[in-house]
Amino acid sequence: MEQKIENMNENKNSPIARRKFLRVLGTAVAGGSVLAISGGLFSKAKGSEVSHYWQIDPQKCTQCGRCETDCVLQVSAVKCIHANKVCGYCDLCGGYYRSNVKELNTAAENLMCPTGAIQRKFVEDPYFEYTIDESLCNGCGKCVKGCSSFGNGSLYLQIKRDLCKDCNECAIATVCPSDAITRVSLDKPYKLKDE
Amino acid sequence: MMNKIVLICLFLLQIGQGVAQNRFPKPDFESGYKYPEIHYAVANENLLVTIDILLLVALMGIVAWAVIRKRTRKPIIWVSVISVAYFGFFRHGCVCSIGSIQNISLALVDSTYVLPFSVLLFFILPILFAFLFGRVFCAGVCPFGALQELIHIKSYTLPRTLSIILGMIPWIYLIFALLYAITRTSFIVCHFDPFVGFFRLGGDIGMILFGAVLLVLALFVGRPFCRYICPYGALLSLFSSVSIWKIRLTDKSCINCELCHNACPVDAIRAPYINKVNESRQRGVKRLLNYFVLLPLMILCGAFLMRLISNELSRSHKDVRLYEMVVQHEANPGEALSVELDAFYGQGGDIKELAVKAEKIQADFNFYATIAGILIGLVIGITLIELSVKRTRKLYEIDHAACIACARCFSYCPQYKIGNESGNKPL
Repeated sequence: MEQKIENMNENKNSPIARRKFLRVLGTAVAGGSVLAISGGLFSKAKGSEVSHYWQIDPQKCTQCGRCETDCVLQVSAVKCIHANKVCGYCDLCGGYYRSNVKELNTAAENLMCPTGAIQRKFVEDPYFEYTIDESLCNGCGKCVKGCSSFGNGSLYLQIKRDLCKDCNECAIATVCPSDAITRVSLDKPYKLKDE
Repeated sequence: MMNKIVLICLFLLQIGQGVAQNRFPKPDFESGYKYPEIHYAVANENLLVTIDILLLVALMGIVAWAVIRKRTRKPIIWVSVISVAYFGFFRHGCVCSIGSIQNISLALVDSTYVLPFSVLLFFILPILFAFLFGRVFCAGVCPFGALQELIHIKSYTLPRTLSIILGMIPWIYLIFALLYAITRTSFIVCHFDPFVGFFRLGGDIGMILFGAVLLVLALFVGRPFCRYICPYGALLSLFSSVSIWKIRLTDKSCINCELCHNACPVDAIRAPYINKVNESRQRGVKRLLNYFVLLPLMILCGAFLMRLISNELSRSHKDVRLYEMVVQHEANPGEALSVELDAFYGQGGDIKELAVKAEKIQADFNFYATIAGILIGLVIGITLIELSVKRTRKLYEIDHAACIACARCFSYCPQYKIGNESGNKPL
């Protein structure tokens, strides 16, 4: 028996030689797979000029309010955007006032926006211009809901590219009930309503 | 007659919907009011992405040079600082190599998925470097590793049993990450990212707490995230174990002083071991063969169990959950609509279409979860087999799969110092 073991050690099939062989084989397999994966994927990969960025489709958005709460940022990168060219410039604005308010004045209890981000400016009788103060907007979408139910739908939510962290997977997209958040290509960086 | 009324009603409804977007006409301004011009900022992402890739290659190159050629640790500390500052705090850690696993796997199965070139490079370059020089990416180029590297004070060794059990987690995590990515359920690696909250100075409080626990652990245990969680590290260890250029402590002979072993924070240096079990070779081979018979059993077990729970798993997919909600709602329609159902019915929800979708996802889960089960069985089986293979080691040896190229050991090696002082530079 002992002799046999000795024989084995002297043999070129000794465990040491075999381990070495396996290691070389492993290296070859690893190198081959690196080449195969990169080769296979390079044909699939698109250049960075068609990189995609997260945007909301305003037509699909249901203003559920998750954009405010589910963004990875403390204050959401989703902001309300106002399409002036769609707006009716109404005095009684569904996005500005809450429904069933007693008096139409700018007291906070009458206003839809919880942070006072919507500013209103008199243009001419009977038209008012509405603008969004982006630094105050938290993307809750309350005004959007009001505007789309009682108005032209000129207020809408959109992900601001300069604020968005461009997460690998958008945290809001994973909870969006209407799958409104998808990636769009760089040549059309914003999904806007007034274009 | 009834039919006609219904038709007219439907027609009127459609008109109503069409008008809904323009209830109020465009105002005719008489005061010469002009619509404000609004431009939205679009950052030049291409430039930053190019810098990312160049820096990635440069930093990995520096680490490779430091550990293979110079055998010194100082550059690695600087690389770590740069990585934490740039990839971490400046770029907020997205997209990272760890997360890119999911994009790559999704691109492999789904041809409609657009894989950006930069993501591919983030995935393949560290693997290429691991294949050439070992895990130089882990050393300090990865911002997560760098963060743990910089705060590490003292290395306490975990019990071997615990370390081996925890060591299986990255593999299982990797398998689940692939399963969830391929089925388009979610990117769990990104979702359960413990450190990104620090880099962004805010985020999910649960994950930040988890990250804080890991960081406190990292003070006393080397790289808890890299060793026991990171799925990309597991992938890299495959390539680094067969890498072309390997890290060597010294060109002179080892004197078995144990210093490098004590210095290693990740237990990557194996102590000499004398195999006292006097087993005849044939018996050993037989034992190993038995294990290889056992391995398919474990694989079958894993596949069976995962298939069993695949329907449960598929419920983490949004569409399957929605389908269940719809079915429940159809059963008792009186209940108030949830946000999801509201959106579904608001878009004119087609239940049949949703059912087909949900069934397809469940079928996908059935198939891919079975494969995942096979892989899990394989991971556990191979770990057990590895445990039972006891080889005699005469000297301290580096385990290249576990070595994260932090270069702590070099300065501890007395042989290396002698070589340096007498002017014999290594290599």
